[in-house]
Amino acid sequence: MSWFRAAPLAEGPGEEGDVFDEEADESVLVHREWRSHMQRRVKEGYRDGIDAGKAVTLQQGFNQGYKEGAEVIINYGQLRGTLSALLSWCHLHDNSAALISKINNLLDAVGQCEEYVLRHLKSITPQPHVVDLLDSIQDMDLCHIAPAEEKIDEAKDERFYENNAEFNKNCSKNLSGVDCSSLKCCRTQERAHSESPSLTWILEQTASLVKQLGVSIDILQHLKQL
Amino acid sequence: MAGSQDMFEAIVMADERFHGEGYQEGYEKGSSLGMIEGRQYGTLHGAKIGSEIGCYQGFAFAWRCLLHGCTTEKDSKKMKVLESLIGMIQKFPYDDPTYDKLHEDLDRIRGKFKQLCSLLNVHPDFKVSAEGSGLSF
Repeated sequence: MSWFRAAPLAEGPGEEGDVFDEEADESVLVHREWRSHMQRRVKEGYRDGIDAGKAVTLQQGFNQGYKEGAEVIINYGQLRGTLSALLSWCHLHDNSAALISKINNLLDAVGQCEEYVLRHLKSITPQPHVVDLLDSIQDMDLCHIAPAEEKIDEAKDERFYENNAEFNKNCSKNLSGVDCSSLKCCRTQERAHSESPSLTWILEQTASLVKQLGVSIDILQHLKQL
Repeated sequence: MAGSQDMFEAIVMADERFHGEGYQEGYEKGSSLGMIEGRQYGTLHGAKIGSEIGCYQGFAFAWRCLLHGCTTEKDSKKMKVLESLIGMIQKFPYDDPTYDKLHEDLDRIRGKFKQLCSLLNVHPDFKVSAEGSGLSF
């Protein structure tokens, strides 16, 4: 995390030399204390930031998901409602048990489709976080500079940090770009090869059922969205 | 004296600066976490409403077709209730979670649906699977 590189930077040039020169050992202690205090401050800030960030986007995410979930699932509801109407019609008119069980099977199939779609709607959201990835890379100590080696040229250091930050920024940009496009791609693929085949089958079966019942095919007109 | 004053300020400032730095990082992370979490809840709730409204809608449209051509007095009563239910459903903004009368309207639609079922003398089973999907209503 950023405090690894931020903390050493905190002391201005020559601070250690000017102020704590007489007691070198003590300065190490003070230095350590300072570092841990600052690390704590960064962590506190991080926690506060998480809460604040979450508070801002939770509702936004909820509204987005809600709209999407409602728009997709309503089509399955309509099919389910239509089949239920046919089922109750059959019960009223004492149609054959074979037809009734056929409708029941179709209703079950719609339920399965619906559940499948819902599961995938929910699962498209978790995506790998660039921040997490960078964290784990940094935890591997690849970019970490040990406090004892701090005497190296300050200016050079700063440039390194800047580059590092720049790199991180670019990295996250690229990665999130990739995320989005692959996500979209995933989604359309899902639509293409999971929903349609079984749904088409259900719709075909429903159409033939409607004919068997001697009901006008207009009854399925409102399902055109599927 | 002036030097130590500066030092003191620098320390206080650093405190703020480090907090701010962590905050920035946390804010970004929190934003994306909130988005994901919110979407998951939202999808479930939206799907639940969509499924229920869709059922009523499909049921009502289908029955309108089935009753087509029936002209007894009782049938016209059924038709009236049916049309009123369809009207309510079409006005209902089912995909808008910010709609303030969502529950009020939903309850009215449910009531109308029950009235229709008793008029039609049917007991529809939408077969909403209770387990897992969380779509039961």
